[in-house]
Amino acid sequence: MSNANADAQSTLRNLSYRQGLAVGTVGVFVLVGLLGVIFPGSIANDLFRIITSRSTLSSALRLSVPIVFAALGGIFAEKSGVINIGLEGLLIISAFTGVLVTDLVGASSSVFFVPAVWVGFLAGILASTLFSLLFAIVCIEFRADQIIAGLAVWLIALGLAPFAANVKYGSPNSDNLGSAGTFDQWTIPVLSDIPVLGAVFDATPVVYLMLLAVPLTWFVLNHTSFGKWIQASGENPKALDTVGVNVNRVRYAGVLLSGVLSGVGGAALSLSLGQFIGNGQTMVNGKGFIAIVAFLFGNYNPIGAFGASFLFAGLEAVQLRLQQVPGYAIPDTLIQTVPYVTVIVVLALVGKTKIPKAAGEHYESGDD
Amino acid sequence: MSTAVHLDGITKRFPGVVANDDVDLSVERGTVHALLGENGAGKTTLMNILYGLYQPTEGTIHIDGTARDFHSPRDAIDAGVGMIHQHFMLVDPMTITENIVLGNEPRKWLGLAVDSAQARTEVRELSNRYGFDVDPDAKIEDVSVGVQQRVEILKALYRGADVLILDEPTAVLTPQEVEELFDVFEELTEQGKTIIFISHKLGEVMEAADEVTVLRDGKNVGTVDTADTTREQLAELMVGREVLMEPESDYQEPGDTVLGVQALRAEDSRGVEAVTDANFAVREGEIFGIAGIDGNGQSELIECITGLKTPTTGHISYKGRDITNAPRKQRIDDGMAYIPEDRHERGLVMEFDLTQNGILGSQHSEPFAKGGRIDWNRVETHAQDIITEYDVRPPNKDADAESFSGGNQQKFIVGREFQRNPDLVVATHPTRGVDIGATNFIHDRLLDLRASGKAVVLVSSNLTEVQGLSDRLAVMHDGEIMDVVDPSTVTEEQIGLLMAGEHIDDAERATIAPDGGDR
Repeated sequence: MSNANADAQSTLRNLSYRQGLAVGTVGVFVLVGLLGVIFPGSIANDLFRIITSRSTLSSALRLSVPIVFAALGGIFAEKSGVINIGLEGLLIISAFTGVLVTDLVGASSSVFFVPAVWVGFLAGILASTLFSLLFAIVCIEFRADQIIAGLAVWLIALGLAPFAANVKYGSPNSDNLGSAGTFDQWTIPVLSDIPVLGAVFDATPVVYLMLLAVPLTWFVLNHTSFGKWIQASGENPKALDTVGVNVNRVRYAGVLLSGVLSGVGGAALSLSLGQFIGNGQTMVNGKGFIAIVAFLFGNYNPIGAFGASFLFAGLEAVQLRLQQVPGYAIPDTLIQTVPYVTVIVVLALVGKTKIPKAAGEHYESGDD
Repeated sequence: MSTAVHLDGITKRFPGVVANDDVDLSVERGTVHALLGENGAGKTTLMNILYGLYQPTEGTIHIDGTARDFHSPRDAIDAGVGMIHQHFMLVDPMTITENIVLGNEPRKWLGLAVDSAQARTEVRELSNRYGFDVDPDAKIEDVSVGVQQRVEILKALYRGADVLILDEPTAVLTPQEVEELFDVFEELTEQGKTIIFISHKLGEVMEAADEVTVLRDGKNVGTVDTADTTREQLAELMVGREVLMEPESDYQEPGDTVLGVQALRAEDSRGVEAVTDANFAVREGEIFGIAGIDGNGQSELIECITGLKTPTTGHISYKGRDITNAPRKQRIDDGMAYIPEDRHERGLVMEFDLTQNGILGSQHSEPFAKGGRIDWNRVETHAQDIITEYDVRPPNKDADAESFSGGNQQKFIVGREFQRNPDLVVATHPTRGVDIGATNFIHDRLLDLRASGKAVVLVSSNLTEVQGLSDRLAVMHDGEIMDVVDPSTVTEEQIGLLMAGEHIDDAERATIAPDGGDR
């Protein structure tokens, strides 16, 4: 009895850490808001206006698309027991393939009534999925170290995409496909007229896709057999094997889904801009790694991962806006450290992110 | 009655080993059948074959009179055979219901979603039918081992199992839970289920089984009705020779003091005093036993002696020198051997093969290490010697420690520690989980050590063992050494009283105190 009591108390203490964090975040926003209202023309006032502006929300949604999709993919892979740190590479591959295929089809033409940009989008997903299949075979069939294989996926993509762009376009960046090779805004009448929040209903199709994918992923993980198998495969694969479910098949599915979802994210990124940028870290620029941070932060819960991605994307959006306000040239490199600093703080203070027990371990069935 | 399971001439060969050799086995429907044998006798292999995890090299399986060919557990499950492994196959963060239905989830919405309400109802009905008391919504990580085992049984029943195989089901249970499990057996057989359980404990086999099949070296050496046999007969079948149930110990005159403990106090990991003012000495050529219910300070006392814990106050001397604060390495180098309580945690590195495990503790000293390099040839010979001499099975020095059964792991640890040629052996539960043959062997070695003038500290919760082997016996209660008695004259009742924390009055004491006691 006293034991149960102690347990309850420790749960309470842990909860209050998380709550404390949430309350703290909201508190900071409220404080900024209050100061902004009280002192017009102050820094706080500028910040308040930026945070509550419709265009900030709009760009936060846009910026979160690749992070959210990669994070959802990462959840599937890692929950099934395969740590996929190659998400960044998958984003790069699909971002490039998306633009390349759209361009090859001809930005303003279509295939069987499917506009080129959607053909490119699907091609991007396909490329990323094939890449993840390769990763899955290496990890599951040949039992390579998942971390090393994941790094290889990233490094190969980081070299291959700009190289291919160089061959095709003579520069690491692709040509700009113009508005025909870019996703349009889909504006929903009436709803889009709501002040500020209307931004949600005046966005590219990939933003809607994201808002659909998050609850769908949550449903799949929590309410379908497949979701339960994914969890069992990552926690105790032997338990799954002994009830007659093929663990490796579940893991292949998990990794391939990470390929599909990262593919959506990567192609969405480049086709929202109409161009692939291959300079330096490419246009993906660490979003795949931030996605890993986001799902860890969200404790493998798709809703939590979305929240974390949105927070990181929101900070980036605010930072971009701040650059335009005279006197606040905050270096973006500084802002980019925020997700990583946050996750260290969260992991240190909250310590509740529960990594699947068998994540990173090969599974060999008892058969011989 | 009809035959539920019939195994006909099962042989299983692994590279270099014959695990099962032409085994026949018949089990009647609605009975409890025990599979008895020593560690490595092939019990688990045989059952893994029946469950489809291994394919037999030769022989056939008949279920309800029909010959079956199992290529995977799935086939066995479909034929109504379920197995509950020694290590539970449960997913900790999932609920009891989710675990039970895993892989066979009831669906709704055209099969798109799991029907959790339906699943919960089915689990509740199932557990009510067999009188199990489980909360369908509790998470596995929050329930006791006994409940987890019931979940495993329910899992098999949910899949329509008529034959339940349990691999050493009592190894992880408290005595109370063992009784409850046997009640469950009764309930299940009354409802027509057939139970096969693996064990190496004679007592529980006699209590719970209707019939017993004894395996030795992979062969069936006899199937008997428990009503027509005795423990001694079963033990003889198991080891193939007559066994002494109680170790023989001849008193001899002890020599100089090897280990001295003075006014020792120590705290447990939570900072609560666990050892209160311990005083005793252990001399050459004697076995000093420490009895007591687990958790009365024995572990902390031993950790102080072996250098794993620093005492709060007091002194420990070894071979005439104060070693209270000496590092563990120095104690090892000075010839102190230690058979730890928890073999997984402290005895072996599970991911290492036996070759590497064989030099743990001596990895830095001659003859294994010279000038910072390890002489692997010598290390391999050493491991091979331990395996041969201590009959570790299978005799494969290149296999990882985790692939061995608990009993064989223990034999290897005991072998490694004894091979050090120690002056003092600190042995905690040296025969826990070990079969009779190996237990006798370990006991004999402890007596050999004593005969050659070494000192032994023996901690065991097995009263027969500690009373039979020791020359003097200390009884601990709540961190205190209640008394040191002569094990040859003390009665079990008197030890029981001491273990419960009651002193024995002086008149009685005079008859049970050992001669030459140094208190």
